[in-house]
Amino acid sequence: MKLDFTKSPIALAVVAALGAVAAASAPQSAQANGNGQGKHSGTYLAGDFHNHSTCSDGAVSLQKKVKKSMDRTEATPWGLDWFVQAGHGGTGNRNCTLAEDASLATPAYPLVYAADGTTLQGPQTTWVNTNPSVQPKGNLSGSGATQNMWRWEAIQTYQYPLMEYLAAYRNEPLFLGVESVVAGHEHTSMGVITGQNPAAIYKQKLPTTKGYTPLGNANALAQWQYCFDRGNSDTSRGNTTTQPGNVNTGVGNNWDCAVPGSPNAASADWNIAGAKLNGANGENGHLKTVEAVKWMAAFHGDGSYYVPAHLERAGPFNAAGNNGFNIEHLRNFNNAGPRVAFGFESQPGHGASDRRGEYNLRRNAFGSVRYDSVGGTTYGGTGVYAGQVGGVWDALLGEGRNWWFFASSDWHSRGAFSVDDRRSDNDFWPGEYQRNYTMVRHGRTDKKQVSPQMIVDGLRSGNNWVDSGQLIDRLAFVACAVPPRLADRSGRFVESIGEAAVEALALASAKQNTDIDLRHCATMGEKLEVKPGSDIIVAIAVRDPKGKSYSPYSFPNPSLLQVGITQPLDEPVLDHIDVIGGRVSGYKAPGSADYAGAWPDDWVDMANPQQLRTLASVPAAAKNETAKVIKTFGSKGWRSSHHDREFKTMSFRLRGVQASQYVRLRGTNMPPAVPYETDVAGNPLSDLWTNAGEIQAKTSSAIEFPANSMLRIPCTTSGSNVPDNGTPYTGVGVPKIDGCPNHLPVVNGQRMVAFDVAAWADLWFYSNPIFVEVEGSTGVAGVKSERSSVLATAK
Amino acid sequence: MSDPQSPTTPLEPPPRQARMAWWREPLLHFVLLGAVLFAVDHAVNGSADDARVIVVDAAVDQEALKVFREARGREPTADELYGLRRVWLDNEVLYREGLALQMDKGDKAIKDRVIFKALSMINAGIRRPPFDDALLRAWFEQNRIRYDEPARYDFEEAVLDGDASETAANAFAAALNAGAPGDAKAGLRVFKARPHPTIVQSYGPEFADALASLPAGQWRALRHGDGWRVLRLEAATPARAASFEPLRGVVLQDWTDAVMAEQRTAAVRTLAKKYVVRVEGSAP
Repeated sequence: MKLDFTKSPIALAVVAALGAVAAASAPQSAQANGNGQGKHSGTYLAGDFHNHSTCSDGAVSLQKKVKKSMDRTEATPWGLDWFVQAGHGGTGNRNCTLAEDASLATPAYPLVYAADGTTLQGPQTTWVNTNPSVQPKGNLSGSGATQNMWRWEAIQTYQYPLMEYLAAYRNEPLFLGVESVVAGHEHTSMGVITGQNPAAIYKQKLPTTKGYTPLGNANALAQWQYCFDRGNSDTSRGNTTTQPGNVNTGVGNNWDCAVPGSPNAASADWNIAGAKLNGANGENGHLKTVEAVKWMAAFHGDGSYYVPAHLERAGPFNAAGNNGFNIEHLRNFNNAGPRVAFGFESQPGHGASDRRGEYNLRRNAFGSVRYDSVGGTTYGGTGVYAGQVGGVWDALLGEGRNWWFFASSDWHSRGAFSVDDRRSDNDFWPGEYQRNYTMVRHGRTDKKQVSPQMIVDGLRSGNNWVDSGQLIDRLAFVACAVPPRLADRSGRFVESIGEAAVEALALASAKQNTDIDLRHCATMGEKLEVKPGSDIIVAIAVRDPKGKSYSPYSFPNPSLLQVGITQPLDEPVLDHIDVIGGRVSGYKAPGSADYAGAWPDDWVDMANPQQLRTLASVPAAAKNETAKVIKTFGSKGWRSSHHDREFKTMSFRLRGVQASQYVRLRGTNMPPAVPYETDVAGNPLSDLWTNAGEIQAKTSSAIEFPANSMLRIPCTTSGSNVPDNGTPYTGVGVPKIDGCPNHLPVVNGQRMVAFDVAAWADLWFYSNPIFVEVEGSTGVAGVKSERSSVLATAK
Repeated sequence: MSDPQSPTTPLEPPPRQARMAWWREPLLHFVLLGAVLFAVDHAVNGSADDARVIVVDAAVDQEALKVFREARGREPTADELYGLRRVWLDNEVLYREGLALQMDKGDKAIKDRVIFKALSMINAGIRRPPFDDALLRAWFEQNRIRYDEPARYDFEEAVLDGDASETAANAFAAALNAGAPGDAKAGLRVFKARPHPTIVQSYGPEFADALASLPAGQWRALRHGDGWRVLRLEAATPARAASFEPLRGVVLQDWTDAVMAEQRTAAVRTLAKKYVVRVEGSAP
C-alpha cells in the first residue's frame, strides 16, 4: 500500500464518509469514549512528577530544580512543559526554599544571608539555622540545629507559597506533589491539587520586594501527608506543640483523618491522639494506604492521583516490613479509588545509576534472606511489571482496568559529578531523559493557562505516552471501528483506502501534537465500543527527530556497534515499533485464587543472558498469557512522507473482533537480537549486563558478585574531546564528548558500557492502551470522559 | 642528724669513679629523657601540628570576592570581606573536623570523587612507552580477533502471528515464496550485515549454522527453541582477515589504550602493596 500524504485531504474525506456510514449502522457508536463528540482541544505536553530537593534527600533547591527542569537553554535544552515538585514524605531538616546563587534569586525570594549579613544561606541550610530561624511545628523530631520539619508543614507553609510564586513569576504550570513513603510498601508518586494555583495567580501583580502571600494553598496535600504518609509519625494533628512532651496546643490545623464509611476510631489500629491510623507496616500498613486512596476519592476525587513509584525496586510485598507491591495491592488501590489510583511508574528514574533504576539482585533483606527487586533488574530501563509482555501490566489491562504507565526522573543528584555536569552516574534531570507526554485539554473558561487540574485530568485519562532519550517526540495512536456490515463487504482495495485514511488522520494529529476527535475512533486511554465482527483499523504516526537527543555523547552507540550498526549516541534512530495486544476477560474478584500472587524471585536467568524466562512460574494473578506482540513495524513496514522524513506512519487491521481486547505500543532504537539488550523477538533483556554495581549474597551481607563483574558490552571509541572526570563538563559552548567517557568502568583494560552511557544507548517508548469493548463480551472500565459524563447525565 | 663519719669538706680531687658519677644524676636523666621525648613527639606529631595550621591566603580572598560579586553584584566592604574570610575559615574548620571524625567514611559520593581524583593523578603520571611498527604489528597479530572481519549475514524474518508450529511456519514460507508480502502476518524484521558471532549469541550455534546454509532469496522455516521461525537469507559476506596497514592508526590507539590501562593497573597494584589485604569469609 502506497500513501502519498499530499492526498491526505482525500483520505480524510474517506474517513468522513466511512464514519457517516458507520454512524448509521453502529448502534453503540455514541459510547465511543468521547470521540468526535466535543472533546476539548488539547496538546500533548511533557512533564515530570517525581523528583527531589533538599527538603528531602535531593541535592538542590526548589528554584534550581525548577530552572534546570523548565528552562530551554543551551545548558538545559530539555525544558519541560509542566512540572510537579515532589520530594519524599515524612520529614526533612533542610530548607529547600533557599536559593543557591543570584541566578535563582527573585524579587519575592531574594538570596538569604545569615545574621552576619554576608554568609549566603543555600538550600543545605537547616530550618533552625535559617535566618530568621524556623521552629518546626508538631511533635519534636530531631534536635538542635538539625531538628526536622514534618513534610506537612513544609508543604503548607514553605514549599507551596514558593511554588505558587514561581508558577506566576515564570508563567508556567508548576505545582506540588509528593513521593510518599508508603505505609506497608515503599514509595508512591501522589498529589492532591485542591487549592493549588487558582487562576488568579497568573493575573495578579507580583511583589517587587521580599515576601509573597499565596492566593491558593496546599492544605489538602499537607493534610494527606499528615494522615497517611508512613514517614509521618507526628500525632499533633497538624498543630503547634510545646516541649518537652509534645503537648498539643490545639492551635493549628486540628486535622482528623477519618475516612467516610470506614471504621476509623473503631479500628484497633487507630491512634486517638493523632486522629489517624498507625499503619506501621505490612498488612496494617497496606490497609492504611487503601484508606488513603479512599480519602482522596471521597474528598478530592478530581484533584488526586496515586501512582506507585519504582514499584518493583523494593522486592515483593513483605508482611513484616515495608517493601514492594504485588498485583493484589495495585488491584486494591484501583478498587478503592479508580479515578485516583490509575497507574504506576513501572519505568523508574535513576536511569544513570550503577544499578539502572536502582533495581538490583538481592537488594532487599527480608529477615536473613535477600530478595531481588521484582524481576531482578529493569529491562531496557523499565521494570518487569510493564517491561514483560504478558506480565503484571497486561494482567491489569486484561481485566479491563484503567491502569496507565508513567515514568519520571526521580531526580536526586548527579552522583559523583556536580549537578551542572552533563555526565551522570546517578540521575537525569526532569525532562532530560524520561518524559511523560500527557494530553492536556484546554479548560472551558481559561484557555491561556495550564492548570494543575488539566494535568491531573490528562494523567487520569490515560492519554499519555512515555519516551526515553528523545527517541520520538510525537505520537498519534488511533483505532477506528469499521462496523460488521462494512467490514464484511469491503474488498481489499476499499480496505486499503480506509487504512490509508486512518493513517492520514494519525499523521495529521501527530503533526499538530494533538489527538483525534472523530466518531468511531479512539486513542490512548479510551475505548471503542463495537459490535461483534467489526474490523478495527489501528494506525500509528510518530516523529523520530533527527539529531535532537540531549545526550552529551556523540560517539557511536556501543550496544549497536556489537551488531555492526554505527549510530551516534546523540542521534538515536527508531528501529521498530511493536503493537502488543491482549484479551480482556474481566475483573478478578478480591479473595479469588487469581486475585493475588507475587512475581517469582530470582527472575533473571544469569546462565542465559540472551533469553527471557517464560511466564510458566508466574502466578495466574500476575500474568495475562493472551498478551503478545501482534504486529511489528520497521523501516520496511512504515511510510515516510517525502516532505517530512521525520514522521513515519503505519497501520493494520484487526479483523472481525469477537472479544474485548486492547492494543498498546512500544518502540526502541534496538533491533531484535542485540546481545545483552534485546532477545530474538525484540523484547528488552535484563539490564544486569550494563549494571556496574556489586551484588550481595542471597543469605548474607557478603558480596557475591563484585562491582563491574556483570558488565558485558565494551565501549571502544576513543575521542579527542573526553574530559577528565574531575573537569566539569556543562556542554555549554563546547562540543559533545566524542569518546567513551572516563567514568565508565574498566574491566581487563577495556572500558565497559554502564551508567548514563547504558541509558543513552538503550531507548524505549511506551504508549498507553486503546481498549476495544465488543458488545456482549467482557466490559471495559473505560475513561469517564467529558462525553461519557454528558451521556450519563442524559441517561 | 648528720653522719659523724662523713667529711664535711673535700680536700682532694674525687677519684675516677667519683668523677663519672654525674652520669647517674637524675636531673640529667630527666633532661635527656625530655629531649628524646620532644624529638619523638616532633617526629610523630609534627605533621598533626601542621594540620592544625589554617592558612587564609590570597586565593581564599579571590574566591570569596568572586562569590560575593556574583551573588551581590558589587565589591564587598572591608567588614564584609572579613565576614567572608570568617565563613571560609568556619567551613575549613568544619571540613577538617569532619575529616578528623571520619565523616567521609561510608559516603559513596565522596568515595567516588576521591577515586576519580586519585585515578586522575595516576593518569597524569603515566606515559605512552616508545613504539615502532614492529611492536604494533606484533600486538595487532596477538589481538587480530578484534580486527578480523567476521562473516556477516543479511536476512529477514517474516514474523508469525502466534502459531509457531512447524506446519504453520512451512505453510507461511510457501506462501511467501509464492509472492505473499513479508509482513503478511505479524510484520517483517530486517537484519543487515549481522556479524556471525552475534547471531550465535542470540540464536544459538545450530540456528546460526542453519541460517548460514540457507539458499539466498528463499523463505524457509527454521526451528528455534520450542518454536519455528520463517527467514530468508538475503546475502552473506564471508569472513575476512584484517590487514595491518590500513588499520595502523586504529591499532596505535588501541595499543596505546591497552598499555596505558596496564600502566594504570600496575600503578594501582603498586600502591596496593602498602596495604595488608585480609579476605574474610562471608557469614552464613
